Amino acid sequence: MIRFLHTSDWQLGMTRRFLSEEAHARYTQARFDAIRTMGRIAKEKQCQFMLVCGDSFESNQVDRKTVARAIEALKEVSVPVYLLPSNHDPLNAASVYRSSTFVEKKPAHVQIIEDTAPVQVGEGFELVGAPWLSKRPNGNPIVDLLNALPPAGSIKRICVGHGIIDIFTPDKEAENVIAVSKLEAAISEGKVHFIALGDRHSLTKVGSGHRIWYSGTPESTDFREDHSGFCQIVNMDGDDVSTEEVKIGQWSFIEALMDLNTEDDVESLRKKLEDIPNRERAAVKLDLKGSLTLSLHGVFQSHLLAAKDVLAGSVINEDNLLVIPNDTDFTDLGFSGFADATVKRLRDKIDQGGPEGSVARDAFMLLLRLSKGCA
Amino acid sequence: MKLLRLKVVNYRGINTREVKFSPLGITRIEGPNESGKSSLGEAINTIFDYQDNSKNQDIQAIQPVHKDVGPEIELEMETGKYVFTYFKRFLKKPETKLTISKPNPENLTGRQAHDRANEILKETLDVDLWKALSIMQGEAIGQPDLKNKQALSAALDKAAGVHPAAPQELSLFKRVSQEYELYYTIGRGTEKKELQDLRNTLAEKRTEVGLIEQAIRELETDIDRVPVLQRELTQLRKQEEALSQQLIDLTAKLEQISSLENTQSAAALKLESAQKTLQAAQGAKKIRQDTIITAENAAKAHRELQESSAMALPALSQAEESLNKARVAADEAERKRKEAESLAALKRADFDYYRDKLDMDQLFERKQRIDEARRDAAQAETVLAKNKVDAGALDRIKEAELGYKNACARMEIGSPNILLRSISKCRLSIDGIEAVLDTNEVRKISVADRTTVSIPGTLDIEITAGSSIEGLTRKVEDARHALDAACAAATVAGPDEARKAYDERQEALRDVDNKVRVEKENLRDLTYESLEHRLHSLQQSVPNYLVGRVKDPAICPDFDTSKEEWTKAEANSQTASGELDNTRKALESARSLFQGVNIKHREAGAKLEQLSKDLKQTQENLDKGRKKESDETLETNLTAANMAVLSEDTAYRLATDSLKAFNPEQVKALEDSAKGSLKTIRNSHDSRDKGLIELQTRLKIMGEEGLHEKLNAAENQLEHLEFKNRATTLRANAAKYLFDTMCEERDKASRAYVAPLKDKIERLGRLVFDPSFQVTIGDDLKITSRTVSGVTVPFDSLSGGTREQLSLMYRLSCSMIVAKDGGTPVILDDALGYTDQERLKLMGAVLAVAAKECQIVIFTCVPERYAFIGEAAVVPL
Repeated sequence: MIRFLHTSDWQLGMTRRFLSEEAHARYTQARFDAIRTMGRIAKEKQCQFMLVCGDSFESNQVDRKTVARAIEALKEVSVPVYLLPSNHDPLNAASVYRSSTFVEKKPAHVQIIEDTAPVQVGEGFELVGAPWLSKRPNGNPIVDLLNALPPAGSIKRICVGHGIIDIFTPDKEAENVIAVSKLEAAISEGKVHFIALGDRHSLTKVGSGHRIWYSGTPESTDFREDHSGFCQIVNMDGDDVSTEEVKIGQWSFIEALMDLNTEDDVESLRKKLEDIPNRERAAVKLDLKGSLTLSLHGVFQSHLLAAKDVLAGSVINEDNLLVIPNDTDFTDLGFSGFADATVKRLRDKIDQGGPEGSVARDAFMLLLRLSKGCA
Repeated sequence: MKLLRLKVVNYRGINTREVKFSPLGITRIEGPNESGKSSLGEAINTIFDYQDNSKNQDIQAIQPVHKDVGPEIELEMETGKYVFTYFKRFLKKPETKLTISKPNPENLTGRQAHDRANEILKETLDVDLWKALSIMQGEAIGQPDLKNKQALSAALDKAAGVHPAAPQELSLFKRVSQEYELYYTIGRGTEKKELQDLRNTLAEKRTEVGLIEQAIRELETDIDRVPVLQRELTQLRKQEEALSQQLIDLTAKLEQISSLENTQSAAALKLESAQKTLQAAQGAKKIRQDTIITAENAAKAHRELQESSAMALPALSQAEESLNKARVAADEAERKRKEAESLAALKRADFDYYRDKLDMDQLFERKQRIDEARRDAAQAETVLAKNKVDAGALDRIKEAELGYKNACARMEIGSPNILLRSISKCRLSIDGIEAVLDTNEVRKISVADRTTVSIPGTLDIEITAGSSIEGLTRKVEDARHALDAACAAATVAGPDEARKAYDERQEALRDVDNKVRVEKENLRDLTYESLEHRLHSLQQSVPNYLVGRVKDPAICPDFDTSKEEWTKAEANSQTASGELDNTRKALESARSLFQGVNIKHREAGAKLEQLSKDLKQTQENLDKGRKKESDETLETNLTAANMAVLSEDTAYRLATDSLKAFNPEQVKALEDSAKGSLKTIRNSHDSRDKGLIELQTRLKIMGEEGLHEKLNAAENQLEHLEFKNRATTLRANAAKYLFDTMCEERDKASRAYVAPLKDKIERLGRLVFDPSFQVTIGDDLKITSRTVSGVTVPFDSLSGGTREQLSLMYRLSCSMIVAKDGGTPVILDDALGYTDQERLKLMGAVLAVAAKECQIVIFTCVPERYAFIGEAAVVPL
């Protein structure tokens, strides 16, 4: 029997531009902390080792501080750790795994899977990995590995790979896409008994059985990840294989499409934004559509500003949100004289539309802002 | 506001003074200097400005000098709905009293009175405007600052029909301006440095991102290059190993080849030695054979030469005989040729004689023709010298003659004619000249003047022409004189002689021309002198020839015969010369033949002698050789040498074939090629190895630079900068758009706002200037420029007088505008001091017009200055 922690796609050194500088620092730290958390869980769950199926680093050209911080985190993992070089961090001439920082500071229990040679990981268990030696190899390395492998016989074999499988990509003929059928064939032929994959950031079971898995990233990285922020514990006992997902991530990336037309819609948005849990560790992506009056748009903007003050980051797409002034936008101001004439002219220009109408609308919004508090 | 009455007591130099103002129109207060005019104007302000107990210096100043009394001011006035009398005493027993009669009577004293009075003023009057409209003595008239003067603004608002700018709007405009000033400068509207800096920072960041991207691309290229180089190095190492092995094999082969080459060289040396021995034997044998042949040939040649020499003697004799015969024939031919040449020379001389003679005759004739022509020409020159009748002279004479004849004809037609017809033969005299008329003869006589016909013894008839004939006669006389003058000029007697002289002159001219022609025809290419010289020479030589000529043969009779004889003699001479040449050639041939035979004979003798000596020597040599080595010995030596050469040659060929089997050239070439290739491969290997090391070093350095994160950070910053720039640009554009729009609207409102003021000023100004007078009013409600007759001058550039006049018009206009709403009086203290007399008249009209709408108070010590102000209440002080 063997038990190990399956994880991947730490993407250390990755940058999320929609996060503020301060939030980004916290987010980066959270992903280093995730390593420590997984180390703790591995120990708690009595795992024999931790298996990282690729993209540990966002790139081979990460800052040496990132490498150093990763090693610091890895030092706190008490079980052996096997790292698979992959498309983001291939084992090429400039590999991060060959950098002086990594080589000099790497703890002994951290091993790089440099080739396809089997690694004994327990009594009757071996690990075979398909490391990426370049960013653009001819075909996914796991395919060659599986083709070359003889049946495992009495040994239980765990295969480690990285890359997208054909059911998750429209471009099924792409060079590095892995055919699920190939993986299932290897399992049915007895060549391998569990395939631990990396690349997809959501924890995902692949194929009809329960022996092929993407672990997903332990800390969410993007809005479209539907089940990220996990690792899993894999138990192999004889022919039996079981998995257990464990929540690791502290951050959330929330994407929403909203219609904004009325005051209620704006209020609803405000509420939605306020109801996000742990907002300081959340990033929001809003795709907005609909049409608002100028004054309602102003209200919406103020809600947004209030939310941005708390949220870790936001991406607001207002391309499909129209701002259409109505009569009350202009009449409630109570101006007279040349100020009133200015408002009328701006309104005419806004009504005419076009680029000048857009500038006129901005000018009017500015006028609204400046008029507040005019004695 | 209207001033009604003012009384001051103990105020500066005034003891007591009371003035009543005209409520509407002009009140002119006149007085000399120091009569207190200015003090009165000052008192109106002082009563409102200071409390009665004020210790202000201005109050101290109004106390009369050397008098311990309190200055008093009492002002009666109406303003708005109020009519009141206001009294104040300062310094001594200060007191304030306010007595309001309208709308509700009030009596107030002290501070209450002061405050109430000011309250009424503030309620009903724009105090600032009132003060601004006053012109105090000593002040240069300038435009008052009327911006934000409530009364004026309200009046202008009302006149313009627009809403006045409320404080809220002004506050908004201020905020808009402040927002605009965040991005642009007010006035020029240029971008602020912050905007430019933002764009520059953005550009710098883009450059930074580009540089990092470039570094990453280079890094990736390097990364891709490493496995390529590694593959190449492996390949090169394999090639190097293969080549090294090939080189070892080739070196072994080359050693074998070297050994075989040594064997071949030894065989070659032996063969060469045998060949030399053979050559020596062959040489010895050949020398012997040659000696034998030489001896035999010498003997044979000696024999043949002896025989040949004997046979050559008869031929020599025969050649000598032929030579002698040829000499005789040549001498004979020489003699004949000389005879023929002599005869030909004589015939030639005869021919020359006849030709010279002919030439001499012809030259003589040509000379005669020339001489004759020259003589005629000389005579003609004489004629020409005398004869003046050329074509012109003749034409003039002919013309005169024609004139004369015409005159005669006219006279004849105009004068009486007498027709005498003789019945029988009769004798008569006409003008004394006797004449005979035969029977039936008719004679016509024209009477020019008077003609007398007499029949002797019978009748004298005198016919006299009438007076009309005198003119004709005079013309005839004139014509005749003209004819005579023409003839005299040509030195002829009359026309006929002139014609004759003309013909003679023409003949003479032809003779002169003829001389030239004759000379040309007869001299040809000679001059007259050379012709004469040649003729003389021929005349000397021709007769002498016959004298000196040989008698025999006789000379031919004429030129043609002579020519024929000469030709014939020449032909004979040619023939003789030809024959001489033939005989000479035959002589040369015979001589040559003889000499040849003779030389051969002599040479054969000498050769025979030499051959005899050679034959002897050869024979002696042969004998000597045979004594040393017999012919048989030489033959044996040659056979042995041939055998040795054959043997060594076989050995050499064997060695050569063995060497060829190894193809030494190919092996050597392969070795060279392998060495070169190995060197090339090693160089390539070293180069790639070095490249790989450099590449790995570079990767080591660059790969750990954290370029990816740097790029992410830079891109992140760039995105933030782009966002900031975009947002800032949008904000700046919005601010500019709002500011510009608001400025335009404000200006538009301002233009409408100042229109009534502008209109009033222009109405007054057209009284002084002309109907084209216009002013522009600025935002500060001041006149900025004046335009007259299309010429616009900024206010500050106008003359002092004009500025003063415009400023007064401006104040009056303001007062006129605000007058309907209570208004303020215009107080002028000795204004228009810069205005000339002519303008003063016009300004008087201006004041008169203004006075219809507002109250004007003028203090002056120069009443004449205001003599044209129309109806006014005059208050002398």
